[in-house]
Amino acid sequence: MKRRAAMKSLGVALGGLVALPAWANSWTPDSIGNSTLLALNDEILLAEIVETFIPETNTPGAKSLKVQQFVQRMIQDCYDDTAKNTFKQGLLKTEELALKANNKPFVQCDAKQRTDLLLQMSNDAATKPFIGLVKNLTIRGYTNSEYYLVNIAKYNMVPGFYKGCVPVG
Amino acid sequence: MQNLNIDSIKKRSFDAIVIGSGISGGWSAKELTGKGLKTLLLERGPNVEHIKDYPTTNMNPWEFKHGGQITKEMRDANPVASRCYAFNETSAHFFVKDAEHPYIQEKPFDWIRGYQVGGKSLMWARGTQRWSQYDFDGPARDGFAVEWPITYAELAPWYSYVEIFAGISGNKDGLAQLPDGEFLPPHEQSCVEKHFTDVMAKKYNGARPIIIGRCAHLTQPQPIHLQQGRGKCQHRNICERGCPFGGYFSSNSSTIPWARQTGKLTLQPDSVVHSIIFDEKKNKATGVRVVDANTKQMTEYYAKIIFVNAATINTNLILLNSKSTRFPNGLGNDNGLLGKYIAFHNFRTTMSAEYEGMLDSTTAGSRPNGSYIPRFRNVFKQETDFLRGYAAGFSASRMTYNDTSGIGEDLKTSLSNRKFGNWRVGSHMMGETIPKESNYVALDDKQTDAWGVPLLKVSVAYDDNDEKMIKDFHEQLTEMYTAAGFTNIRTHDNPNKAPGLDIHEMGGVRMGKDPKTSLLNKWNQLHACKNVFVTDGACMTSNSTQNPSLTFMAITARAANNAVEELKKRNL
Ligand SMILES: Cc1cc2nc3c(=O)[nH]c(=O)nc-3n(C[C@H](O)[C@H](O)[C@H](O)COP(=O)(O)OP(=O)(O)OC[C@H]3O[C@@H](n4cnc5c(N)ncnc54)[C@H](O)[C@@H]3O)c2cc1C
Repeated sequence: MKRRAAMKSLGVALGGLVALPAWANSWTPDSIGNSTLLALNDEILLAEIVETFIPETNTPGAKSLKVQQFVQRMIQDCYDDTAKNTFKQGLLKTEELALKANNKPFVQCDAKQRTDLLLQMSNDAATKPFIGLVKNLTIRGYTNSEYYLVNIAKYNMVPGFYKGCVPVG
Repeated sequence: MQNLNIDSIKKRSFDAIVIGSGISGGWSAKELTGKGLKTLLLERGPNVEHIKDYPTTNMNPWEFKHGGQITKEMRDANPVASRCYAFNETSAHFFVKDAEHPYIQEKPFDWIRGYQVGGKSLMWARGTQRWSQYDFDGPARDGFAVEWPITYAELAPWYSYVEIFAGISGNKDGLAQLPDGEFLPPHEQSCVEKHFTDVMAKKYNGARPIIIGRCAHLTQPQPIHLQQGRGKCQHRNICERGCPFGGYFSSNSSTIPWARQTGKLTLQPDSVVHSIIFDEKKNKATGVRVVDANTKQMTEYYAKIIFVNAATINTNLILLNSKSTRFPNGLGNDNGLLGKYIAFHNFRTTMSAEYEGMLDSTTAGSRPNGSYIPRFRNVFKQETDFLRGYAAGFSASRMTYNDTSGIGEDLKTSLSNRKFGNWRVGSHMMGETIPKESNYVALDDKQTDAWGVPLLKVSVAYDDNDEKMIKDFHEQLTEMYTAAGFTNIRTHDNPNKAPGLDIHEMGGVRMGKDPKTSLLNKWNQLHACKNVFVTDGACMTSNSTQNPSLTFMAITARAANNAVEELKKRNL
């Protein structure tokens, strides 16, 4: 299971010789600008969804890093109409299911209700593609944000060296 | 009025004209100016000045709008260019966009181009292996194409000459099929690459060496490189954006500024060469017709000698379009072979695997290079049912991943704990294709581009020999991977992948001993028009399996040197 997740997160066909360096896909709220894909209320909803995937702890979560902007920008500019449709329908569905389960919109649900709902949606064939799409992009946006690359991945554009064999860790 | 005209002609007259400012044109310009010739370097694209015109070179990854990914709009608009692995948000500005420069694919061919000062030398992958005598002997031995008019021994000093200036890193491996050069310190192999090397050495008794790739990177700059204003390679691995350190060889960082220092160079960007002017009375070429890329005005420029370095296919195009009463089918094309015998390198297939050993080790830093498997098939004698052979890239690095299965704080924690997977190994085939008359480029007789130049038709395809070679590659690499203990071995062949993405197209204006069967003599002069020289990939009689650009450089330097001598002797 973990192995499958690993392959997926690599995201590149194994045949390619050149592995994408860790930083090859990254962004900043300034670099991507505002997207026109969603209405404001949908954007607020999306922000809470990405925050549910990667919440604020003692370090910033997806919402304060504006990962929702990255998700929208990518879907708007890099994805096809099917994905765009999955995305928009998925947001509607999330809202509908939140009302049904908790009698309130997703943004008013508490953390546990939100998590439960997204987990439930990831197990339902109809909503799974939406959850997959948004989760993947959330992870990508988070792990390629300036915050993550500088503070966690210790990104260095100029390593200045290569060593072919060093001990792990 | 009369005087004005004479002044204007004088202004447009040079000792030499070089068409194209990429890898080979840069060398032509450097050699010709270095020997005192007043040289006009014509480039169809815009100027790209070293460092100043590398807009993305110092951008952090998070500064790109789409994190480096090409947008759907861009991909849809550029189905050809976007198939190149190096075409991404950080480097797309150096690649020709499909719509701006159309061509006709009689058979699918992905033609990857860079139209700017520096040409493709900005985006290339910098693999620089010499060819060997076995490569030059190929046609005579196997009976394909025609015999080469030059030998490895004749070219060897010129390899040394260009290697020293360009800066090539590598290891002296002592291989007959891959001669050593003048090397800067080599990059390291990774532990699994070394493991593969060791196992293969034992299993095949030295017949299948695996080496570190030779590449145009300054691992230890010498005074000649510092004089060029270039510095040590910083291992950034983002070379296709242009390197502000001059850490790899490009025309922009090396040959062009060097030529400029002589005071003899006139570099003229935005100048689309339409054709070469042939003067029947003088029985030689007198200049070129140039269309201004922006105003579309045509102007003529004159010179005693002309070097055509527009990159293989465009060089063919320019010569085909250089029609005169004497040469109705293109300059020098008495035998009708111009544009024919185009060949390429077969990069269609790759093989990947994993290695579940050496899990306590990994690599550190980054390396703009990989290991290399020199050709081991049919080198010393014909041993398979296909002609020639293949080399291959090989590299091994540790897989890393994050567990992405959770949600919430679990997921967040997983994302800050990068885990190591197995070693991942990969290899891509680089097969020599056989030049054939049926693989050709030609002018379309109706359509022209925005500059009034006829559109080019490309008709190039794989053949049975290529298919047999691919099959052999799969079999041999499977055997080799298995012997090395690699698992999860996979082949990734896509028969629908068109030729072209190797970006190693060659031929069409081949060299040879006999004017009846070739276009150029051993000094790269058109047999029928001796003051026109073709020294880019178009001149190649056959293709070898090695990356070609180093050979373009060596052949260019050799031909330019000879051209100047001939000029001095008043033979041109
Ligand atoms: C992504 C990539 C990876 C590569 N990797 C390698 C590698 O590892 N090793 C290797 O050996 N090779 C590699 N290559 C190929 C290498 O770049 C070419 O072989 C080399 O650049 C060819 O040199 P050239 O001078 O013939 O052409 P170019 O460098 O392409 O230069 C030709 C120039 O002529 C100009 N021109 C064309 N037509 C006209 C005209 N009508 N008038 C005026 N100017 C004109 C063009 O604009 C261009 O600037 C790679 C290429 C790419 C794109």
